[in-house]
Amino acid sequence: MAGAFAYFLPAAKAAWDTTGAVVRVTPSPTDLFTTSPTATPSATPAAAITGAFTILLLGSDDDSKFYSDHVLTQSMILVRVVPSSKQVTMLSIPRDLYVHLSTGGFGKIDGAYSYGGAGAAIATVEQDFGVHVDDYIWVGLLGLIKLIDAIGGIDVVTSNPVLDDYYPADIYSSWPYGYERVAVLAGPQHLDGIHAMQYVRSRHGDLQSDLGRSQRQQQVLLAIRQKAKQLSPADLPAMSTAFGGELKTSIGLSKVAQLLPLAGSFDNPDAIRQIILASPYTHGGAPDGSLFANWDAILPLVHQYFP
Amino acid sequence: MMISRFILAGVLAVVVVLGGTSTYMYLGSKQSRVAAPPEKPTAATPRAQATTLPGAIYLTQSGAIYRLSAGRFHQITPEAGWSQPSLAPNGSSLLAVKYGQYWSDVYVLSLFGTPTRQLTSNQARQGMNDPSLNHWSFFPRLSQDGGTLWMTYDGLKCDGCFDVSPAVYSMPFGGTIRQARAWTDGGYYSGGDQQPIPVPGGVIYTKYDYGSKYDAKAENKLVGMMWFSNRAGAYGRELTTPSEDCRTPSLSPAGNQLAMICTYGKQVSYLTIASWNGSTLGPRTTILTNQLVAQPTWAPDGSGIAYLAPAVPDGPFQLWWLPKAAYTAPPPSPPPTPTPGGPHNGPLPTPTPPPPIPPVKPIQLTTNNGFDATSPIAWLG
Repeated sequence: MAGAFAYFLPAAKAAWDTTGAVVRVTPSPTDLFTTSPTATPSATPAAAITGAFTILLLGSDDDSKFYSDHVLTQSMILVRVVPSSKQVTMLSIPRDLYVHLSTGGFGKIDGAYSYGGAGAAIATVEQDFGVHVDDYIWVGLLGLIKLIDAIGGIDVVTSNPVLDDYYPADIYSSWPYGYERVAVLAGPQHLDGIHAMQYVRSRHGDLQSDLGRSQRQQQVLLAIRQKAKQLSPADLPAMSTAFGGELKTSIGLSKVAQLLPLAGSFDNPDAIRQIILASPYTHGGAPDGSLFANWDAILPLVHQYFP
Repeated sequence: MMISRFILAGVLAVVVVLGGTSTYMYLGSKQSRVAAPPEKPTAATPRAQATTLPGAIYLTQSGAIYRLSAGRFHQITPEAGWSQPSLAPNGSSLLAVKYGQYWSDVYVLSLFGTPTRQLTSNQARQGMNDPSLNHWSFFPRLSQDGGTLWMTYDGLKCDGCFDVSPAVYSMPFGGTIRQARAWTDGGYYSGGDQQPIPVPGGVIYTKYDYGSKYDAKAENKLVGMMWFSNRAGAYGRELTTPSEDCRTPSLSPAGNQLAMICTYGKQVSYLTIASWNGSTLGPRTTILTNQLVAQPTWAPDGSGIAYLAPAVPDGPFQLWWLPKAAYTAPPPSPPPTPTPGGPHNGPLPTPTPPPPIPPVKPIQLTTNNGFDATSPIAWLG
């Protein structure tokens, strides 16, 4: 018992430290900015989650170019999970989408987090897309790299060669404004953290730029989920270490315990729907190189898959 | 009484801390198999199968080239960015790519891994002041007469743009990059034309491009297609459709079959074979659908196909062997033999069906390695 307690202690501490103020996004968006410092993991046994829920995945460059917690969320993916039908829908929100921000005014949607943290990002998505977000997970660059390395890499069929002469050299460099050349070749392969990051982050060599890498991000997310099914509790120490300071989430430990068995039961890749908001859902020409949203097309789509 | 409670609490706290810490450290040292790093092929671990393949196979792991012959692996280069080995047509040497920090070059190596000649010089003198002045050379191959080097090379980059789509190039073996000719245009922000295979009358390669450019019904996303071009600068020809999403061609020793992988736009990789008549591919035959197949490579004696695939779901890539019987149709059953003993008046006996031929399954040759699945395999007969 003591061992089990201490075994999960680092994970619990990491989650507590990084989550700090747990953002409660249910039941009302007005609670978005309230904190629950007294939140504690439930002592009752984990009950299976049966109702559908929606999670907002956020990914950020968090190198030294940015002030801590004032980062842009260059990856925003809404994930809807329906346990009863074992359906998963992933909708990538273009980071350059020009929207009404929850903190006031208009701007690129990736700026919402930098103005008001996860609460502002969630509120912006909820008000503009008309969805309800139950929880969020934010991951920094280094966290994703370390996570993929900690789980021993992932298998991905990279859809195309990703070649970039101007890939930001900001992760392990003391000068975060430099560039490096990267080449991730195409086809089935076992990616380590660095190469998986290059695959999902590079956009200069892709005609669809951010939309193209959104597709790649979804591929890698699904590969991580697939790999997670193969792991054992013995891998948790490495994973909790990997996430030190690079993960924030509103999901409490008790809910994680509920989600783990659920994740293993989703084994039909055809039941995973992937949506990218390319044309005609978005088009260029908005201020600062951002994208205008075609809400007449987006909202029916969102309401269909995120009711 | 109160003091003893405090003592008890203190002792329990120490037990919790010590027991917990030791449990944490113990379990932390017991990573699951899928998260454990792969071993070097030369490590003396038991092989999954004792099958010994003919000749010598060259393949890559962690920037080193390994030679598998007589059932044993030998590391022939250091872990120094070596990759993509291919054989000279006369089998006397290897070509391989060596990655630099931001570039890659083609070298000639002896069969035992000693570099004997550098064929390209892709590092820019200016370093990374202008990153685009550095270049990549990938997938080197020599023509059948040994006089022409084929490769993928990003030599068509435009000034001031971000496109790094490489094209298929040919250059005289031993010549300079100034003598190189682009056979294809590399496309536009697509990933380019990759993995050229010189064949009589031209070159087969994988073109990466948006499927909707070639098929109005295809999705507007990047896919791989087999293409053929018969002269430098000519607009090549599609051999497979965008919806098949095929890549990594490998020509059979007889030159009449092409092995490749097709993904159909999904996170799958089917081993597929088609006949090749010098200009078009015949109907596809899907051989393996339950593995993530990479780099299919024909045995020089035609006895089967080696390939890379994970041995466990989501694991690193191992070496596999598929005997020829797995993808060749069994001979037709012989006609039923007449029953001896003269005319038969009664009902004919029910012929006994021939026993079913058990399917020939792939053979896993390695267990704990992590071969580079983007690097072709070279096989010396």
